[in-house]
Amino acid sequence: MKYVTTVNGKSYEIEIQADGSLTVNGEKRSVDFRELAPSMYSILAENISHELTIEQRGDEIEVLVRGHLYSSQVLDERALLMAQRTGGSIGDSKEASVKCPMPGLIVLVPVEVGQSVTKGQTVVILESMKMQNELKAPRDGVVQAIHVQPGQSVEQNKVLLTIS
Amino acid sequence: MSEQRTIKKILVANRGEIAVRVIRACRDLGIPTVAVYSEADRTSLHVRYADEAVFIGAPAPRESYLKISKILDAAKQTGADAIHPGYGFLSEKPDFSQACQDEGIIFIGPNPHSIARMGDKQAARETVKRAGVPVVPGTEPGLRDEDILALAPTIGFPVIVKAVAGGGGKGMRTVRTPEELPAALATARREAESAFGDGRVYLEKLVEGARHIEFQILADTHGNTIHLGERECSIQRRHQKLVEESPSIFVDPDLRRRMGEMAVRAAEAVGYINAGTIECLVDKDKNFYFLEMNTRLQVEHPVTELVTGIDLVKEQIRIARGRRMGPTQSLMEPKGWAIECRINAEDPYNNFMPSTGKITSLNIPTGPGVRVDSGVYAGFEITPFYDSMIAKLICWGEDRGEAILRMRRALEEYTIMGVKHNIPFHQNLMNSFSFIAGAFDTKFVEERFSMTNYEDVPSEEELETAAIAATLFAHRQRQLASQVVTRGERDTSNWKWVGRWERMHR
Repeated sequence: MKYVTTVNGKSYEIEIQADGSLTVNGEKRSVDFRELAPSMYSILAENISHELTIEQRGDEIEVLVRGHLYSSQVLDERALLMAQRTGGSIGDSKEASVKCPMPGLIVLVPVEVGQSVTKGQTVVILESMKMQNELKAPRDGVVQAIHVQPGQSVEQNKVLLTIS
Repeated sequence: MSEQRTIKKILVANRGEIAVRVIRACRDLGIPTVAVYSEADRTSLHVRYADEAVFIGAPAPRESYLKISKILDAAKQTGADAIHPGYGFLSEKPDFSQACQDEGIIFIGPNPHSIARMGDKQAARETVKRAGVPVVPGTEPGLRDEDILALAPTIGFPVIVKAVAGGGGKGMRTVRTPEELPAALATARREAESAFGDGRVYLEKLVEGARHIEFQILADTHGNTIHLGERECSIQRRHQKLVEESPSIFVDPDLRRRMGEMAVRAAEAVGYINAGTIECLVDKDKNFYFLEMNTRLQVEHPVTELVTGIDLVKEQIRIARGRRMGPTQSLMEPKGWAIECRINAEDPYNNFMPSTGKITSLNIPTGPGVRVDSGVYAGFEITPFYDSMIAKLICWGEDRGEAILRMRRALEEYTIMGVKHNIPFHQNLMNSFSFIAGAFDTKFVEERFSMTNYEDVPSEEELETAAIAATLFAHRQRQLASQVVTRGERDTSNWKWVGRWERMHR
């Protein structure tokens, strides 16, 4: 099986043979990979030992090594072909939205529809975990729509505001 | 006041790591415990560790952990004859200490009078000032916005807006110019109203380049008041402490003696009994000012425990029983060095935004010199109702260098997956030259620290290892998934298959 794995913006071509042997970018690697407990793995690569915690999170696989968390994407040949055909799935969409990062209560929306905002400007104040959190505009633009009002309780991932 | 009392059962009027911490001390002493829990906390760790647990209401603190009547009912129902309030929630409400007294329940903490005197920041300042303790200039509390705006120039900018009922950085704002003041007052009042149900605020002059150094106080009913040395709490963000240590690299034996004497005087000025903390600001020239007294156990009490060998919660219980406290003298020479990192469910890469959700993996560091006070476990769901602090990692070393190296090792071992947390922040901080050199003040994190400054660039080997591991993980999952599909290769039942086979061979 051939895979293309991307970690921190760096891609590796990794091939796993039927007998379990493995190559990285065409070079052979001797790797002993064991599952120890749910999510907990041990890897011995050329005698170098690492303990890893690995979990699938959405489309990504999260790997924690020595306190460093890496989000990686693993595509097999078929998925790679699909991704090439659709020509990069994440294009520059015209609209950007501010989503609610956690459940909470809207305290204030200090902007209005039609107002120009700059990247990093506070557009919503959300109260959660006893703290008031300032949610910022992800980029420059004009406020297209505001979907919430002060005093409203909101769920995680709700779109609060769109900027075009 | 020195009659001895027995305590048969302790109710812990709190949640999270501090409730677990108090329950552990009770278990060490062989005293049965009662936990209280809100709807959001049925599966919390403190409920698991307590001998009994009583449901007290809806998740919002106002409906449960702040509801005095429900807590007292829980105590009566279970026969608890003492209550430990932990920190936050009801710990610094004089009404609560009073209500316990009225019901004949021992409140493990100071009497209502000292809480009220120290809790009212203005009365506290006046009281300690009379005892010869230096204080920071400011306004009286509870003024209307117009009056505060008028008084601000007489104090001189920059100033801090503080909530009268404050604590933990809630309802606090730094203001540099008169123009910013109205908006800061509004935000502070809103935050204070929702956190404490009290929107009153006051102003205080901001001491620039200041360190936040506090002294641990213990006082018993036999007339003994001592201090247990200082804690350095200057590593903070938005007035929330993130890292604390004891001793402070800034405090020499002479300063420790002078500040310690001042702290004992301040506590004695209100007739303080039990454990408490005198918070001070110390400027570059080692001038110190009384800031406030926290009339409760502090979040960061473990660093003092590690350099004194004293279990502060056990001492609190001993004092509440009317006994003499264990230590007899103020601490002049701490043993070794202790550092605490607060582990918060907050994303350091995204403006420390709180993170909620299920903790999917958890592996707690152990080994020499490492202590973890945690309120969570693998599978636990972090809800948005309470503070984002989920655990404290405390490391001890012979000296500060060893404590920092241990902290780095322990942070590497600490595994928390499923929610965003601030361990990467602590890793970067422990690598920062300014922190290692001890060159920081209360503005260091906000103004001079960046996550990218000290981030180790991941090594080629580590990146490749992560890539290989992720690929093998995905490969195995794919194999497992395909096995499920291929299991029924004969697409009919075995009985049918045997039937056909037999017919074929007839």
